[in-house]
Amino acid sequence: MGSSGDLDRMIEQLQRCEILKEREVKTLCEKAVEILVEESNVQKVEAPVTICGDIHGQFYDLKELFKVGGDCPTINYLFMGDFVDRGFYSVETFLLLLALKVRYPDRIYLIRGNHESRQITQVYGFYDECLRKYGSANVWRYCTDIFDYLSLSALIDNRIFCVHGGLSPSINTLDQIRTIDRKQEVPHDGAMCDLLWSDPDDIDGWGLSPRGAGYLFGGDVCTQFNQNNKVELIARAHQLVMEGYKWMFNDQLVTVWSAPNYCYRCGNVAAILELDEHLTKSFKVFEAAPPEARGVPAKKPAPDYFL
Amino acid sequence: MDSETDDLYPIAILIDELKNEDIQLRLNSIKRLGTIALALGEERTRSELIPFLHENTDDEDEVLLAMAEELGNFVSHVGGPEYAYTLLVPLETLSTVEETVVRDKAVESLGKVGEVLSEQHTVQYYIPLLKRLAQGEWFTSRVSSCGVFQTAYPRAPPNLRAELRSMFQALCHDETPMVRRSAAQKLGKFAAKIEKEFVKGEIMTLFTELTQDDQDSVRLLAVEGCAAFGKLLDKDDCVQYVLPIVQKFAQDKSWRVRYMVANQLYELCESVGPELAKQDLVPAYVKLLKDNEAEVRIAAAGKVAAMCKLCNNEQSVGQILPVVKELANDGSQHVRAALASVIMGLAPVLGKAATIEQLVPIFLALLKDEWPDVRLNIISKLDHVNQVIGIDLLSQSLLPAIVELAEDKHWRIRLAIIEYIPLLASQLGVAFFDEKLGSLCMGWLQDQVYSIREAASTNLKRLAEEFGSEWAQTHLVPSILGMAKNGNYLYRMTVLTCLALLAPFVSTDVCCNSMLPVVLSAAKDRVPNIKFNVAKLTQSFIPLVGSAVIDSSIRPCLLELNSDPDSDVRFFAGQALATIELQKGA
Repeated sequence: MGSSGDLDRMIEQLQRCEILKEREVKTLCEKAVEILVEESNVQKVEAPVTICGDIHGQFYDLKELFKVGGDCPTINYLFMGDFVDRGFYSVETFLLLLALKVRYPDRIYLIRGNHESRQITQVYGFYDECLRKYGSANVWRYCTDIFDYLSLSALIDNRIFCVHGGLSPSINTLDQIRTIDRKQEVPHDGAMCDLLWSDPDDIDGWGLSPRGAGYLFGGDVCTQFNQNNKVELIARAHQLVMEGYKWMFNDQLVTVWSAPNYCYRCGNVAAILELDEHLTKSFKVFEAAPPEARGVPAKKPAPDYFL
Repeated sequence: MDSETDDLYPIAILIDELKNEDIQLRLNSIKRLGTIALALGEERTRSELIPFLHENTDDEDEVLLAMAEELGNFVSHVGGPEYAYTLLVPLETLSTVEETVVRDKAVESLGKVGEVLSEQHTVQYYIPLLKRLAQGEWFTSRVSSCGVFQTAYPRAPPNLRAELRSMFQALCHDETPMVRRSAAQKLGKFAAKIEKEFVKGEIMTLFTELTQDDQDSVRLLAVEGCAAFGKLLDKDDCVQYVLPIVQKFAQDKSWRVRYMVANQLYELCESVGPELAKQDLVPAYVKLLKDNEAEVRIAAAGKVAAMCKLCNNEQSVGQILPVVKELANDGSQHVRAALASVIMGLAPVLGKAATIEQLVPIFLALLKDEWPDVRLNIISKLDHVNQVIGIDLLSQSLLPAIVELAEDKHWRIRLAIIEYIPLLASQLGVAFFDEKLGSLCMGWLQDQVYSIREAASTNLKRLAEEFGSEWAQTHLVPSILGMAKNGNYLYRMTVLTCLALLAPFVSTDVCCNSMLPVVLSAAKDRVPNIKFNVAKLTQSFIPLVGSAVIDSSIRPCLLELNSDPDSDVRFFAGQALATIELQKGA
């Protein structure tokens, strides 16, 4: 009870977009490890649940997401990675989601995106943000250590497979994903890398990814995978879609994108996918939070790692 | 001895942290400077702390800002007014730094300290400081100096005052526009402290010069002073000096200046009085209403009602009203929105007949505006309409506008109209409401967006407050209960929320026999989220039903939830059970 009270206070503080003390972050991360280490590489999730895509440190837009979708724990959530980098508030965003995870482990699931990596966060902003907000890289270190424990994918009611990027040529069955030793930095190639990096494309079979990591995969690959594993849908994030969500391959795959006006300049809308207890799908499209719903603008000009 | 060191230990840490490399720690320490000073005592604060702070005025801006603020409240810590002058040294340095917010804060603190100085110290320390600032080589110190005059002047002995005035004059003619801006900005406050004879002469000349400055940003700040000057001068002088300036400004070539005039005009009219306002300022105002720049029209449109009220005569309203009609069709939605939020204020000036004839058509047009904000602004002022003409005249036009807003694709617009529903309900009355708006309010409970469903639930509660429990029982409760079996858990959740919110407004019979059973049966829902919401929401029923009902139905239900496989269900059931125990104890 004492600890849930403490967590409730942290959650309240983070919801006001205020950072935690370094010591608190450390405690939070220690508790998070205990929970995350128990989760499977293909974490079982029960409907009803609301699926969300990339957030990228856009804290006030995450709050907008909760206004549209409902609060956690009232509503169950699955976030498909890329919590950090690019936006102004990666620290607050990730810590809020993590604190909710620790407080309500069965109400919110977080899986890993390609930005949940030491290497990528040093280039795209999370590292710099930690340094700026805490004066040292300790918080970045605690968070990136947590990233290694995040699950790689989720399976909703055995029917919907959720992953940040997509499929891998070295993976045919969910059991193969289950055998990956995920507790490591995202590798440069191989199954774990592909799950976080690949993209669907209108091609046959496999193709080289312009991203330099992961693969492009076609509709035939997707059909085969879904049949092999008796799933009806792959839900993934990873790619900006202007309309917030996009169906592909005869509704066998859907991309969900949850960062409206990405990088505060792309002009896109965002979406979340609500699944009720019968897996009935309903997309909720939303726009960036209006200026009056945001805090005081950052005094420092936008950092130059945008795009 | 030991206990003394113990007492000082926290202070030693704070002092240490003043020098820490971590900016956050320095900042914390600076914010507790008062504590440090109390511990050190007045003498050591003067001889050690203040000099130490002064040596550290090359810190980060955030730290300097905190320091500048703290020093303003430090007089008592250094030993009261007779030692206040010791604070001037660090504040002087802080008022010359590059960062504007630090300087502004330092000047503010200089003001506070200056107020308590004796005349001797003012002459010995404060005025020389002001001179150094005003004649500083770098513009930052000259900018800061402008804000110190208002404190120094009234405390200066008469023989020094002429010099101060001429120093300020020099600042008004400074070659750096930033300095002139600062002078223009502070002139009003300075003038308020100056003997009347000089205001009319020297200061008025300065003011006139600033109003003719090349830089529009300087003129802009001078305009801000117009209203203040208007208040300082006699009416006649005001008419003679300020009025022509305002009239000229109203036609300034920079729209930003005109915008400022549009914002200030009403206050100015107040200072010259309605007679002159009508004659000399209303024409200028009408011009601003027709300005080429939308920003200026927005500012002017926002003052329509106040201006008409002030003039309160047919002739001026006759000049303004035709322009208002044009503004209702303005190309900028922001102008129309500004107009929409004030236009009903014209009604009392016009009287009922003219309102119906002239204002209602504009009102109706705005109610059909393509831009939702315009419509919302009209609806938000509906109570004003009712006071003047009664709502019947409008109800037919009102309804389509409300329905359209209720279905707007932006959820924040829907949210805004929901928030006005209780106001509408109170104005329209229960009959109209039942017929036209009831189903709309129920419909929102099934909105796609969570926040709307939440607001819709609260709305029902507010309606129950407005129309009473009898009405809530017959009109709200049955429809809500009808939705309890919805196939989607989100809508079942909304039903539970509504029931919990309405429970305090219905009879115990309805509460215990219609509502509570539905809530408790939801404890058997397959979705854990519903179950723990039941546990949460029973808490609103606990104070409303007798202990018999608690024991016979609520507690058994919670006990069952308390052994649910889901940990969150158990947690919230446990909390609710604790509430029951607490109530029993009380």
